[in-house]
This record gives sequence, structure tokens and C-alpha cells, in this order.
Amino acid sequence: MIRALALALLMAMAPLAQAHKASDAYLTLRVDGSTVDARIDIALRDLDRDLDLDTDADDQLTWKEVRTRWTDIAALARRDVHLRADGARCTPGVTPAPVPPAEAPALAQHSDGTYAVLRTHWLCTAPVQALSVEYTLFANTDPTHRGIARIARAQATADAPAPQLAVLSPGKGWHRFTLPALPAVATPDAASSTLASAPPAPSTMPATPPPGSVDAAATPPAESAASTFLGFVREGVHHILIGYDHILFLLSLLLPAVWIRSVKPDPRTGLGRARWVPANDLRHALTSVLKVVTAFTVAHSITLALSVLDVVDPPSRWVESVIAASVVLAALNNLWPLVSEARWKLTFAFGLVHGFGFASALKDAGLAKGALAAPLVGFNVGVEIGQLCIVAVVLPLAWSLRGTRTYRGAFAGGSLAIAAVAALWLVQRAFDLSLIAG
Amino acid sequence: MARATASLLALALTLVVAPSFAAEESALQFPTQDDAIVEHLPTHVGDAAERRAARAAERAQRAALQEHPDELGLALQAAHGALARGRLRGDPRELGVAQAALAPWWSRADAPPEVRLVRATVMQSQHLFQPALVELDAVLATPGVALPVRAQAELTRAGVQQVLGRFAEAEAGCRRLAGADYAALGSGVRLNALACIAELASLQGHADSAAATLARLAGAPDADSATTAAGAAAPGWLNLMRAELAQRRGDAAAGALFAAALKSNPDVYTQCAYADWLLDQHRAAEVVALLKGNEAADPVLLRVALAYRQLHGRGHPLTREATATLGERYDAALLRGDKSHGREQSRYELELRGDARAALRHARSNWAVQHEPADALVLARAAHAAHRDDAAAPLWQFLRETGGRDARLSVGGPAAAPFLQAAARTEARSTP
Repeated sequence: MIRALALALLMAMAPLAQAHKASDAYLTLRVDGSTVDARIDIALRDLDRDLDLDTDADDQLTWKEVRTRWTDIAALARRDVHLRADGARCTPGVTPAPVPPAEAPALAQHSDGTYAVLRTHWLCTAPVQALSVEYTLFANTDPTHRGIARIARAQATADAPAPQLAVLSPGKGWHRFTLPALPAVATPDAASSTLASAPPAPSTMPATPPPGSVDAAATPPAESAASTFLGFVREGVHHILIGYDHILFLLSLLLPAVWIRSVKPDPRTGLGRARWVPANDLRHALTSVLKVVTAFTVAHSITLALSVLDVVDPPSRWVESVIAASVVLAALNNLWPLVSEARWKLTFAFGLVHGFGFASALKDAGLAKGALAAPLVGFNVGVEIGQLCIVAVVLPLAWSLRGTRTYRGAFAGGSLAIAAVAALWLVQRAFDLSLIAG
Repeated sequence: MARATASLLALALTLVVAPSFAAEESALQFPTQDDAIVEHLPTHVGDAAERRAARAAERAQRAALQEHPDELGLALQAAHGALARGRLRGDPRELGVAQAALAPWWSRADAPPEVRLVRATVMQSQHLFQPALVELDAVLATPGVALPVRAQAELTRAGVQQVLGRFAEAEAGCRRLAGADYAALGSGVRLNALACIAELASLQGHADSAAATLARLAGAPDADSATTAAGAAAPGWLNLMRAELAQRRGDAAAGALFAAALKSNPDVYTQCAYADWLLDQHRAAEVVALLKGNEAADPVLLRVALAYRQLHGRGHPLTREATATLGERYDAALLRGDKSHGREQSRYELELRGDARAALRHARSNWAVQHEPADALVLARAAHAAHRDDAAAPLWQFLRETGGRDARLSVGGPAAAPFLQAAARTEARSTP
């Protein structure tokens, strides 16, 4: 937000705050064979500007003021939203009588207020393969208005991808969406051959589209999906490499991988006493690392997915605290081992918590609702790559130094230091000490 | 690894197909009472008759413009009206309305300077700072532009440069504005120019003298020592400027100045600035009283949520609901590719959701563009909370270079220490 600077005696013009949510309408288009069920949610505020709904000018809208103008509202939407299937125009028709009827005026709440909901049943000439939308709503009264469109087939089959998402700029011509081919439908025309090569994954919107240029026809879906995917891979790598707690956790688990616990009888007492000795078998060390890394991956993948899909959403402070605790325990386990050979089990348990930590990073990286596969997989692949980088640096070094006193010292000192740092994090995170003023 | 990746892929894909379409749609409502209030529209000022008149005037203006869309005077009037309403209510829709009014000229490279000025204003409100500067440079480079238009362009350009942290360029603009070229426009322009110069000085290590200058400009009774009294006759923006400076200096007078600014300038920016100060003073109840009813504006909703948090804690239903709504609005902004909320989204993540890392990410990308004191504050706080004080290094570097100080920046860990020590030494030297 930027402070207004206006010369009072001149024009009343000045920088102003970008503040409210901007004007959006929400379109949901469900394609079912040769028909399209369209739902459009339009903000009453926008409709009032163009149609003067507030008849008594008291700056609030009653249901009567909206209801009695419903014909005008519907006409506006009909004038400014058009559909075309595979080149031929579709026509708005009558819904086969749902209850309440689709023509009945309806409202819906969005984060910034009340919206009028218009439902239209469109009839196209043939089963729809590619759907084009022409959108000119408010093009002449608010060019910054956008239509947020979700488009998918109505069939909820197991392999149906998530809806395609697009931002429609009014007056930018036809926006074209290629729908995934239905497995049962085999049309031998030219369109189906291009469909066969269409990616099975939803073509997600780039996280940051250039303003007003998102046009499904202009950007090849495969390309934009690939670059979006790579973007999330990068985000994943970045996240693990800047996340000191994840690195320290992994490090604590990797340090002892080049050693094995061996029980040697104490010559004086004759009792067995376990101690770390350098491993002779590289394969053993590699297996140990592989187990740990795999356990971590599987565990954090599970919780990452659960959290991103909003199945589970534990409080972030709790998650961050337990992550810190996991680092403390992993480091202490090196000094006073409770779990030595089955470290992967420990890793799995704590990996679950780290997954929640990744989730908050991924959610923040810009997750379009409805198109989750690419971000989820991409981010995870990125995390794996980052993880492998760490392994690739640490493991050869540890292996070559494993028999030296330096390594023994670094192992003990390092584990102690990691435990100390993580304990500090734990205290800070658990007691919210970092939050100053407010 | 391959095995893990494959199983992960399978897991992700099975989970992704599960959530249905319908879950993302808002539930339909079929009101039954005709007199039920279904939406509150932005309020017009005044009593019922005045509101009706204001509405009618807006309507008439739009109708006239529809009749004569090519009449520049009419179009500019409509655009200026939209920008003024937008500033008051903080509604970006009005930017679109201004753009629509100027549609015949909007995308023309040879648009009249008045249109380019509106275009620059809209762009900078959308945080498109570089394109805005291009427009403003063009206006100022055009010979024969009317003096008031030039003056506004100079001031707006200085404002943008200040936001970007280019203090020298901003100051040059304000000095031109204070000079003989613009003397014909009278004392109002000169007041703006001198205040601008003083504020820029305050951001570069001369906070005390700047506060005195601004107090003098505001006509405060005792300008030399006290900066406390709000100039009763001073314009709202000047009181706001003084309030923000007092806030940076840790001067309790900020409260009275904010209140005075709000009296003559009850726009969203001033409300939120005052709310931030009140929140820092742990006076959350007053924030709720001040802002209640204006939550349509995102920054207002943020402050209301922060106030609820301070009053009732993070887990309280009021806090949670406000936080959730705010999150939905940020999601919607993200969908349309709007990234101008960085500063506030950082606070949302840090102070409402407790996600310091996400907060830091927003704060850093915001700092990469904007260098206002509030931008500095969110970066320092987010970096500290994320245990990444090093991430705030560019900020301390900037403050070292410019000499900027801010009482609220008392945190910052080791990365801040050299700066804070240096600043303390400077202060010790300059205080007799």
C-alpha cells in the first residue's frame, strides 16, 4: 500500500492503495457430451455499477432490488459470455428441470461479498472436444475485471484430471480449452488426434501469468504445464537447500551411516559395550543411506499430500516445534544411540512431520486450487533432488574420513552442535519467542 | 529413490482425483425475504439525500460519457472521480473504471499528457512502478504541458522514486517543485514540495530536523522543540506524514497526529496506518472500533484480524474467520497474477498463520521492489522470526547507505548488530 500524494489544489489525483480484492467473476463449465453446464458468479457490486440495482440509493442491496432485476442480470451475462465447441457456436437452452430450477435467482458468498449466480445449460452441436469461451463482461466499464474459469468434463471417473484453470481477460477474443479425450469416445476426426497427444495432467495456469495475457489458445498447454512443473521442482530444491532444519536432520542421520555399532567385550569387566566402528562394507553404508533417505521421502510425501489437499492441517507452530525436536533427537541419538541399525524407522516417524513443514512452503509457492498433481509431484521431486545433493556431498566425504580421529571428533562435536542449535529453535518455536510486537 | 518417486507419484495422483469440482464452489443461497439485505455497497458520504445525490451524479457522469465517449474533458473528469473514490475506499475496481473512461486514448502511445498522468497513477497503484515512471518521464519531457499537470507528474514521480528507495532522484524532483518554475501555482504546491524534501531528509538520517520542519510547515504552535501538537489547520496528508515520522522516531505524539490526519482524510491508507500504530501500542480494541464495517478492503481486514489476534488469541473464532477470509482473498489475487500484496501477505503469514518462512519469502520479494519503512519492518521481523537474520542483510545495507533509522527496527539479530552499533555511535556524536 502506498500513501497518497496529491496536490490538494490541483486535480484530486494521486497514487492510491491497491486494497480491495479486485473484481473477479467465477465461471464453472462442466462439459457433458454435447452439453455444457455453466455457472457464473458475478459480484453484486459490479452489477450495481452497470445496472444501478440500488434503486433506493441507500448503499445497500435488498433481495428485492436484486430479484426484480434478475432478467437484466441474466441478459448481461448472456450478452457477454459465449461458448463455442470445436468451432460451432453453442446455444443457451433450458435446463431439464432441476430443483430449484436453474432460472431461479440465486446468490453465493465469496471472500469479498455476495455474488449473483447464473446457471445456464448450453447445447452444442456435437460432443465437445475443444471448448472456446468468449468473455466480454464489464469490458467497457472495468477493464481490470477478470473471469476465473474452471473447465472440466462432468464425468467423475477415476482418471479424470482436475479442472483446467484459466484467467479470462474481457475483450481478449476467444479463449480455447482442449478437453482431455474420454476413453470411451473414439471419434475418428482430426481433432481426436491432437487430443491424443494432449497431456493427461491438467494444464495448470502458470503461477504468475503476465497480466491479461492468459489465453489457453495462445499458450500451448504442454509447454506451460512443463514450465510450471519445473518451477515447482526449483521451488522444492530451493526449499530444502535453504531449510537449515531439514539439512541438519538429514546430516544427523547421514553422519553415522559410514559406521556400524559393534559390541566389544570390555577386557576388564568382560561385559559387552557398544561403540561406533568404521564400516568396511560400502554396500552396507549405501543401503543404510538409501533406507534413511527413502523413509524420509515416503513419510514426508504422505503428509505433504495430506496437508496440501487440506485433509490434515496441523498448526504451523506445532509442526515447526516438532521439526526442531526431531533434529534434537536425531542428533542426540548419535551420541547416545537408542536406535542405531533401524534409523530408518526413526526417520520415517519424523519425516511425517517434516512433510507438514514442506506443505506450508508449497502452499506458499502459489498453488492453484484444482490443479494439484503437477505442483505436488514437482515440488517433491525438487525436494528429492535437493536431498540427493546433500547426500552426494556428505557421503563421499564421510566415507573417506570415517576411520580418522577428525571424523570421530566432527561426529561428536557436530552432533552436539546440531542438538544445541535445534534445541534453541525448539524453545523459540514452541514459546513463540520470535514474534515481536503484536 | 526411483521406487520412492514412483510410489509418491502414485500416491499423489490417487489423492488428486479425489476432491471434486463441487467442493470449490460456494453454496447456493435462495433468500426468501424480500427486505433481506444481501449486500452492502461502498457508502457514499452524507445523509440519505446527499448519498442519493452523489449516486445520481455518478450515474449522470457515466451516462454523459456514454453519450460522448470521445470528449476528453468529460472522460478525464470521470477518471479523476474514480481515482478519488478508489483512494478513499481502497478499491482497485475504480482503477478499472478510470481506465474505462479513458478507453479511446488508453492504449495510444500519443495519448494527451493528462491521460498519461492517469495511466501512470493507475500503473503505480498496481505496483507497476517502472511503466509508471516511463509515463511520468514522458509527461515531463513533453513541451507545453499545463503547469498543474507537470506539477502533479513531478510529485507522483517523486512518490514512486521514494517508494523504490531512490531518494536522490525523488529529492531532485521535489526541489524542482519548490523552485521558481512552479511558483505560479501558489503556496499549496510549495507546501507539498517542502514537506516532500523534509520527509526524504527524515529517511536519510535527519529525522529530528525533519520533524521540526514538518511541524513548522503544519503551523504547529511550538515548532522548535515540540513536535507533538497536530496542526489543526494543516492538511490531512501533512499530519499523516508527521505521524509516520513520529512513529519511526518512537515518539508517542504519533497517536495524536494520526488521529488528526484521520479527521480530515478518512481514507483506507490513513486508517490502516493509524491501526498499525495502535497495534504496536497494544491498543487492539481501538483498532476494531476504528475499522469495523470497512473490512471490504483487504488491508483493513488484515488489521482487524491482527486486532482480534491481540485481543482474543489466534485460536479464537473471530481471528480464525478473518484469517480464513483474508487467505481466500490472497488466493484469488494470486489466481489473477496479482502480486502486489507482498508486504501485507508477509504479515498475514507471520502474525496470523505463524508461518515465518512463508512470511520471509513474501517480505523478500516485496523488498526486492519496494523500500518503504514498512517494507523494511516486515522484512526484519520475518527474517528474525524465521531465524534467518542474514536474509535481512540487504535491508541493513540499504539503511547503512541511506542513513535511515526506525525505532521499530530494534530487532534483527547479528546481521543488524553492526548497523545498530554504527547508528548508535552516530547518534552519540550528534547528540551534544
